[in-house]
Amino acid sequence: MTDVTVKIGGEAGFGIMTTGLLMGKIATRSGYHVFEYPEYPSLIRGGHNVVDIRISDEKVYSQKQKVDVLVCLNEETLKLHKDEIKIGGMIVIDNDKTDKSIIEKIPQNVTLVPLPFGQILKDNALPNVMLNNIALGALVYLLGADFEILKTLISENFARKGEDITSKNITASQYGYDYMKDKYSAGYNKKIPKMEKAESRMYITGNEMIGLGAIAAGCKFYCAYPMTPSSVLLHYLAAKGEKVGMVVKHAEDEIAVINMALGASWAGVRSMVGTSGGGFALMVEAVSLAGITETPIVVVMGQRPGPATGMPTWTEQGDLLFVLHSGHGEFPKIILAPGDMEESYKLTLEAFNLADKYQTPVFIMGDKYLQEGHESVDRSSISSYQFSIDRGKLLTQEQLDKITDYKRYLITDDGISPRAIPGMRNSLHQANSYEHREDGHTTEEAFERKVQVDKRNKKTATFLSSDAKLPKFYGDADAQLTLISWGSMKGPILEAMKEKEGKFNLLHFSYIWPLPKVKLTEILASLKNTLLVENNSTGQLGQLISMVTGIGIKNKLLKYDGRPIYPEEIIKEVDKLL
Amino acid sequence: MNTVNNQKNAGFSGYFPTWCPGCGNFGIWAALKTAFTNLSFTPENFAVIFGIGCSGNMNDFLWADSFHALHGRAIPNAVGVKIANHKLPVVAIVGDGDCYGEGGNHLMHAARGNHDITVIVHDNRVYGLTTGQVAPTALKGFKAKSTPSGIIEVPLNPIALAITQGATFVAQGFSGDINHLVGLIEKGIKHKGFSLVNVFQPCVTFNSENSYAWYREKIYKLGEDYDSSDINNALAKSMEAETKIPLGVIYETDRSTYTDSLPQITQKSLLESLAPNLEIIAKLMDEFV
Ligand SMILES: Cc1ncc(C[n+]2csc(CCOP(=O)(O)OP(=O)(O)O)c2C)c(N)n1
Ligand code: SF4
Ligand SMILES: [Mg+2]
Repeated sequence: MTDVTVKIGGEAGFGIMTTGLLMGKIATRSGYHVFEYPEYPSLIRGGHNVVDIRISDEKVYSQKQKVDVLVCLNEETLKLHKDEIKIGGMIVIDNDKTDKSIIEKIPQNVTLVPLPFGQILKDNALPNVMLNNIALGALVYLLGADFEILKTLISENFARKGEDITSKNITASQYGYDYMKDKYSAGYNKKIPKMEKAESRMYITGNEMIGLGAIAAGCKFYCAYPMTPSSVLLHYLAAKGEKVGMVVKHAEDEIAVINMALGASWAGVRSMVGTSGGGFALMVEAVSLAGITETPIVVVMGQRPGPATGMPTWTEQGDLLFVLHSGHGEFPKIILAPGDMEESYKLTLEAFNLADKYQTPVFIMGDKYLQEGHESVDRSSISSYQFSIDRGKLLTQEQLDKITDYKRYLITDDGISPRAIPGMRNSLHQANSYEHREDGHTTEEAFERKVQVDKRNKKTATFLSSDAKLPKFYGDADAQLTLISWGSMKGPILEAMKEKEGKFNLLHFSYIWPLPKVKLTEILASLKNTLLVENNSTGQLGQLISMVTGIGIKNKLLKYDGRPIYPEEIIKEVDKLL
Repeated sequence: MNTVNNQKNAGFSGYFPTWCPGCGNFGIWAALKTAFTNLSFTPENFAVIFGIGCSGNMNDFLWADSFHALHGRAIPNAVGVKIANHKLPVVAIVGDGDCYGEGGNHLMHAARGNHDITVIVHDNRVYGLTTGQVAPTALKGFKAKSTPSGIIEVPLNPIALAITQGATFVAQGFSGDINHLVGLIEKGIKHKGFSLVNVFQPCVTFNSENSYAWYREKIYKLGEDYDSSDINNALAKSMEAETKIPLGVIYETDRSTYTDSLPQITQKSLLESLAPNLEIIAKLMDEFV
């Protein structure tokens, strides 16, 4: 089995992320499974950027702590990451530009591979920005990867910038490649040659998967204000908007964002917004507006460490209960949390159907880890996914013509009223932010108020009986220990499970709210031993579970330093309990 | 509550208003219904977004497909409706607190974007619904519940603000002159682009200072000779001392609207093209391979 982790680090502004992307794509096109996780500070220049790329011939679910090859584009990378190298690993570094005292501290069982970036740039009159290409070429050689794929990728990547730039980039990587061939012809002891039969895979982030899902769902209005980790979703949809017939609006603030989306949705167009905790805090009043006006809306809530500005470019699952309780007053809400790339696509499609069906806000809880990390995903698993668009009780003109005395907030058995949109005939109605009667007019009557609250609440009951999904089990049903987690932490847990096969299983929640109380209680009561795994400090899913079922989860692995949980950390915790 | 059936405005009249007798909102309400009738609107072929305030309470007095928004947020709702269905005329009916205070940011940006909506502001220089605090247009020194010693700030200048932020139609009316106001509302709605109609609306309960009589003494109508296409003229008008208040179309210009600039909706509105294009999606997936 091949399993190689490459780490590339350097100063922000030197194309570290692009290097990671290209390396990941080379491996993906060569037929490997890839998982990539970038870490960077909230700075444009001068900070330290690093990207982890894990490459394997087996499915990989997350990054790992230990690194095979560390490529240092600056001295800082060596200082910060030299202890992460595996025994027998390799460090690529420009010796001329690195303090001897640091080099001396490199462990004996690690191979040092000097690569004189500076000299190569100088000798060939190449600009500094080509540094990463030299590194990439060198890396391709050391790993025995296919240089032709790299050339093709560079050409694709720089196509818009013209032939001159493209060929300069290719030349720079050729220098790196040739240098290694000349000086270290044996390369690294694990190789990733192009496979004979390479499965067609997409190399994609959670943001882009959500974007594809929204496009496929027929979302025609996306509104956002830039905020990590959801900005890439805005960039992706903005780039594709014209092509797919979607209007993508960067509005003046998050309050405008969600209110524009609610306007567009009321007018009949599937609409979505994306943000992070701080931006979502500004949207909260309008979440409540969506609740009472019964206007469908999909909200992508990309979590990052708070409070306030917190650690903008890092990861955390700290906003679950905030989202659950967001919006004043009582109204139904649906919360989904994709665990991986495939779920990001499928649950986005689902989110739009649920929003239309229940005419209420639906949340997609992501985080920096899921939304900005890349993973290779079988193209066929996405493209062959069968789904249909269900707009629920949205009325057609034909249906409306048959209705006498249309009432927007008609009392129904399932709590959901037939919905008309402005501009239709025979549909006169108002969507009202005030409490209202069935016809939409404002009321403060006790009876009318209660009837409408009950009607809205009934949607939760309808959801529980027709659309709620129980958390999913992964792994050996008879295992002695069950890990309980949600959203993006699925990957690291499945990765840990590979090594501890049969020792534990996972109960994973991607349908977070509403939760089916009776069935969930039965499941939890049947578990032998449990460990809650969450990327936050207070165990928010655990709190939610005990709120619903009364069952507490005894053991907890909680991490809240801005970094994702590593499989190694899970194994350590599991070992303590077995 | 009883329904009124005014022949001339048949179709638009909802419940009889709960406004204070003599409130300037009655005049705006009448002018709106007449303007809609003159424009051959029906209650179902345009959309109205109401803010929150005595002004926004018109939601139950005016029959039309409508969205009763949050305080301050009617403009972004209206912008969203317009983007979704740019063939639908969209009118926002808001208060001065609503539009110049709570939602001030939205006004500037809707003007910049030249979103093709018409915003009717009920400028009573107070917060009516919350029982009389100062609005952003309150005159300096005005004493109200939240400023018992008189407001320290100078009033916001809605006309100058709208003009300088890119509004393409800016008018000022008076609820005591319904006929004149009807004309302004009609022109505002017909105008392609962002239009603001600031309407002086006496609040007889919480603002005894800026009464009908007070306005009648100061207002004057812009004459035939006034050139509303000249921005310098318009700015000079907007800066005239409060002793002389101009009514009429103060500024009007032509600039392509937000939705006119979106190639995705040149043929059909978003609402008319809801189905996803599966062929394109397959191509998008290929881009990641
Ligand atoms: C977010 C929010 N803050 C405060 C209020 C309370 N409130 C309702 S109307 C209003 C002010 C109304 O003044 P204005 O917009 O001038 O409308 P008017 O009543 O004068 O027509 C306020 C402060 C609210 N509804 N929402
Ligand atoms: S409080 Fe003022 S604005 Fe409100 S209805 Fe009474 S007079 Fe009109
Ligand atoms: Mg007011």
